[in-house]
Amino acid sequence: MTAALRADLEQALGAEHVAAEDAREWRVSPGAAAEVAEVVRIAGRHGAAIIPVGSASRAPRLRGVDRSRVMVSTRRLDQVIHLDETSLLCHVQAGLTGLGLEKVLTPRGLSIGDYPPSLLGSTLGGLVAVRTPGKSSARHGFFEDAVLGLSAVLADGRTVHTRAAPRRATGPDLARALCGSEGTLGLITSVVLRIHRRPEARFLAAFVLPGVDAAVAATYLALREEAATAGLRVLDAAEAAHWYGAAVCGDGEAVVVAATAGPTDLAACDRDLITSAVRAEGGRDADLALAETWWKRRHSAEPWPGPPPSFQLTATPARLCGAYHAVRGAVTAAGAAARVHLSRFDATGAVLFVTFVDPEAGPVATAPVLTGAREAAVRDAALTAARAAGGYLFGGRARELDPYLQALRAALDPDGLMNPGALVG
Amino acid sequence: MAPPAVDPDRLRKELEAIVGPRRVSMRPVDLDTYARDMWPRLLLARRAGAPPAHLPYAVVWPESAREVASLVKRARALGVPIIPYGGGSGVCGGVVPVHGGVTLDLKRMQALRSVRGDELIADVEAGLSGERFERDLARRGFTFGNFPSSIYCSTVGGWLATRAAGQLSTKYGKVEDRVAGLTVVTGTGELIDTDGPSRALGGPSWTQLVLGSEGTLGVITSARLRLAPAPQLRVFRGFEVGSVAAGTEAIRRVLQRGLRPAVVRLYDELDTFLNSLKPGGGHGDGRDDRRQHAFAPAPLPGEGALPVLPGPPASDRDDGPLRRLLALGRRGSRGLRQDAMGALLSRPRAVNGLVGAVAEKLARKGCRLIIGLEGARIRTEIEAALTFAELERAGCKDLGEEPGKQWLAHRYAVSYKMSPAFRDGAFVDTMEVASSWEQLMDLYHSVRAAIGRHAVVMAHFSHAYPEGCSIYFTFAGHADDRAGSERLYDAIWRDGLEAATRVGGTISHHHGVGLLKGPYMFGEHREAMSLLHGLKRTLDPDDIMNPGKLGLVHPHAPEVDGSGGAGGPGGGGRP
Ligand SMILES: Cc1cc2nc3c(=O)[nH]c(=O)nc-3n(C[C@H](O)[C@H](O)[C@H](O)COP(=O)(O)OP(=O)(O)OC[C@H]3O[C@@H](n4cnc5c(N)ncnc54)[C@H](O)[C@@H]3O)c2cc1C
Ligand SMILES: Cc1cc2nc3c(=O)[nH]c(=O)nc-3n(C[C@H](O)[C@H](O)[C@H](O)COP(=O)(O)OP(=O)(O)OC[C@H]3O[C@@H](n4cnc5c(N)ncnc54)[C@H](O)[C@@H]3O)c2cc1C
Repeated sequence: MTAALRADLEQALGAEHVAAEDAREWRVSPGAAAEVAEVVRIAGRHGAAIIPVGSASRAPRLRGVDRSRVMVSTRRLDQVIHLDETSLLCHVQAGLTGLGLEKVLTPRGLSIGDYPPSLLGSTLGGLVAVRTPGKSSARHGFFEDAVLGLSAVLADGRTVHTRAAPRRATGPDLARALCGSEGTLGLITSVVLRIHRRPEARFLAAFVLPGVDAAVAATYLALREEAATAGLRVLDAAEAAHWYGAAVCGDGEAVVVAATAGPTDLAACDRDLITSAVRAEGGRDADLALAETWWKRRHSAEPWPGPPPSFQLTATPARLCGAYHAVRGAVTAAGAAARVHLSRFDATGAVLFVTFVDPEAGPVATAPVLTGAREAAVRDAALTAARAAGGYLFGGRARELDPYLQALRAALDPDGLMNPGALVG
Repeated sequence: MAPPAVDPDRLRKELEAIVGPRRVSMRPVDLDTYARDMWPRLLLARRAGAPPAHLPYAVVWPESAREVASLVKRARALGVPIIPYGGGSGVCGGVVPVHGGVTLDLKRMQALRSVRGDELIADVEAGLSGERFERDLARRGFTFGNFPSSIYCSTVGGWLATRAAGQLSTKYGKVEDRVAGLTVVTGTGELIDTDGPSRALGGPSWTQLVLGSEGTLGVITSARLRLAPAPQLRVFRGFEVGSVAAGTEAIRRVLQRGLRPAVVRLYDELDTFLNSLKPGGGHGDGRDDRRQHAFAPAPLPGEGALPVLPGPPASDRDDGPLRRLLALGRRGSRGLRQDAMGALLSRPRAVNGLVGAVAEKLARKGCRLIIGLEGARIRTEIEAALTFAELERAGCKDLGEEPGKQWLAHRYAVSYKMSPAFRDGAFVDTMEVASSWEQLMDLYHSVRAAIGRHAVVMAHFSHAYPEGCSIYFTFAGHADDRAGSERLYDAIWRDGLEAATRVGGTISHHHGVGLLKGPYMFGEHREAMSLLHGLKRTLDPDDIMNPGKLGLVHPHAPEVDGSGGAGGPGGGGRP
């Protein structure tokens, strides 16, 4: 039976695009949306699971998946289908990465927008298929808000196209069923994305504030005055020392680096609004070089220097400081230390990046300082405290709504073929 | 009409057991009132003296989400449809009980439960009137930013259920852009919250899947909505631009530079011409709105915030362009008597051409463009300067503040002026479509031509986005009797919406679908309708929530006479 599946796949795609991973798993790379539909129909006939794969920044969830698997890589779906420079819309295939799209847009004076550059190594399909709070920009909103329409293959092999419109009032936004569904409701083959002109001007600024609370307050003061940022980061003293040296600010103080962008007068206005907000919260100017270093590293192709953050949290504006202090307190109480920065600020909140550090080892540690059970224990203590203070860990789900998600899956995919291990448990 | 599926006495008892005797009505006058909304096609029947084709079995006024949940559970057990009802200001027949059922008027659920300044979030019950909501927020220094012309007669829940848009949408967005979470009673009678904290949650956004569902997936009982600080400054300006194409190009350039005026309205030649006529004839001088200002007190000295709302739409003098369009038939055409308008509107092609030509000759002004900005003082000032400069660079001529102020003063008045037209035997309606900038002129010409074959038509462009814009067509038609009027009315919608779909536009930007556009939903969504069917099966497995709407066909419904709900494309959405 598995041989028959393989034969069908090879016939549909050509043998060179079908690879056996193990006895029950095949990796296929269709070259067109119609081929994706064919693969889904074939898998359906053989009762095999369909697992979409983008740039594989995360391992597929296969727990409890007890059937043959077809891993459908979108690698070859990497074309720009239509670039509409009049409407600033771009219809692209799902397997193109953000960076790949930027390569097409940059020479034309266009850009995806100020999303965190670290995201852009992912495929556009993967970016849309997984919802996380980090995928946001204060000027351009959440990544899924940039999706005006998409095409996807459903479990029955049918292809749906939600037609792009700036906005509509013709029932629920059907594209949003696929956004965040992690491949469980359909395989996204292309998306229509809003794009932007490169900003006319950009300004950077750096400040030192009396503490994280003052820095967060200043940020929201500026946002209330409608200052739009192209990026803004609050670093606590430990984090600032890690990046800029211990002399940059005093114990308990915080550093803010910010970028604004847009028409020159407006971008300058936004920078000035941030500056006045910082002054109002008792802050002072810092060396502009801090901001320049940050901006350069943010946009460099170099890998992230040092270990990745130990964990990330998000909270709404009013809970950010509480979550920050809760994490700090819990980490200290557990006899460990951490550095923290906050970024991705917008009206809905921000993201806290927490990295455990070795207080003895100086600022330049490049490997995680806590490992194994010790790491897990400190992290659990921090998360428990953060949750109590209103913070949220990434990747959770509203469990109360799970029955509805499972019902929607059952309605669209009665045989449970689409990424069956995802979004369960 | 299909007879009630349950015995009325039993139904009354079951309902009274939940809300008590005083909040259930089966009185004919209530059933008659709740049988319709502001869909103009229903007014044609009403004008002819016909009773409603579909009546609810009962009207109930719940006071809490718990009561709503119990009512839905009971209705489900009895196999009786539930129709949520807000202000009844919908213009697509969304509340018409085509399969009978119990209508839930939500207006007794109207608490503004909390306003959190630190989070910029309001928790509000669905039945609150739009006007009261904004007035309450304004008192506390905030705005939700949704100012539909119907703000005096629509509810927050109705807005969310239809994805409404207000006059300031270019800055604040449509309602669906400002929702943090919803509380919904689904078709199973279960109460769910769709909030995602900072969108930390995986899985699809249930908020976006319920918004716009027009009561077909559940009853929205309350919502967490995103606020903005009340504006400190408001700047308005009128411009003149040579043509619709030049005007839309100017707007596109403003939006794509990252500038966000709150109000953007470009009137096409006919709309501009009719706007320029004074109610009594001749050209407006913009000074006829002193009395309007009496309702809109000036800001106190030293206090920046301009009034968020003017007074009630109480102009007995300015009937707006619509009325003038109709008045043109009587006044402008010498020798035509009582049926002058009828005669004019029966030859729409001639009128569209003629008035266009007259407008051009008389005015030679091209198109009127109203631009308004509001928000934080410093940034708004700079943004306004950049916006006005960009418009001038794009060839627009600055007319100063007056036209903008005039629009501001009259902005709620126009839409309420449809009844005189109906009294005079004509009908008036509006069609709001949208597309990307690339397709916008195609959309304008195609839909205008399609409607223009049947009716006098004018348009304005409002609700602009960096990637596109909506077009709001107003049309007036006339036929000798009800049957003729309905035929004409259906033909206008059929041809107009098919033209919109053909050139890649959407069939509705903000009025929703209801019964009117149900037959065109397949053309709009094609195979993606299977996603909508999936949602329906998920949230309302027994199909009791507002059946027959959104182009969703009620499977076990008895054939209801000529029901538009089950009609195929081209059915014209008959009630
Ligand atoms: C719980 C969680 C938290 C995360 N948090 C962050 C974060 O905070 N910051 C950050 O930058 N990144 C985060 N990521 C990484 C995130 O996965 C990537 O940002 C991106 O969304 C994945 O892109 P990819 O191309 O690598 O997709 P993959 O890693 O290959 O796939 C990701 C998921 O999406 C599905 N998928 C991929 N392509 C498609 C498609 N075309 N159609 C349908 N489904 C598809 C896959 O089946 C898989 O379930 C997180 C991921 C998860 C799961
Ligand atoms: C003069 C006039 C001007 C208008 N101007 C505008 C405008 O500027 N912008 C605009 O967008 N629209 C406008 N409209 C249309 C109308 O006001 C909107 O569609 C409005 O959102 C409807 O709100 P409502 O409370 O009256 O809803 P209703 O008409 O009572 O209901 C509309 C639909 O939503 C459903 N519904 C209502 N409440 C709920 C709920 N709580 N839960 C679930 N479903 C519910 C109903 O079943 C129905 O299908 C105008 C209408 C008129 C008559």
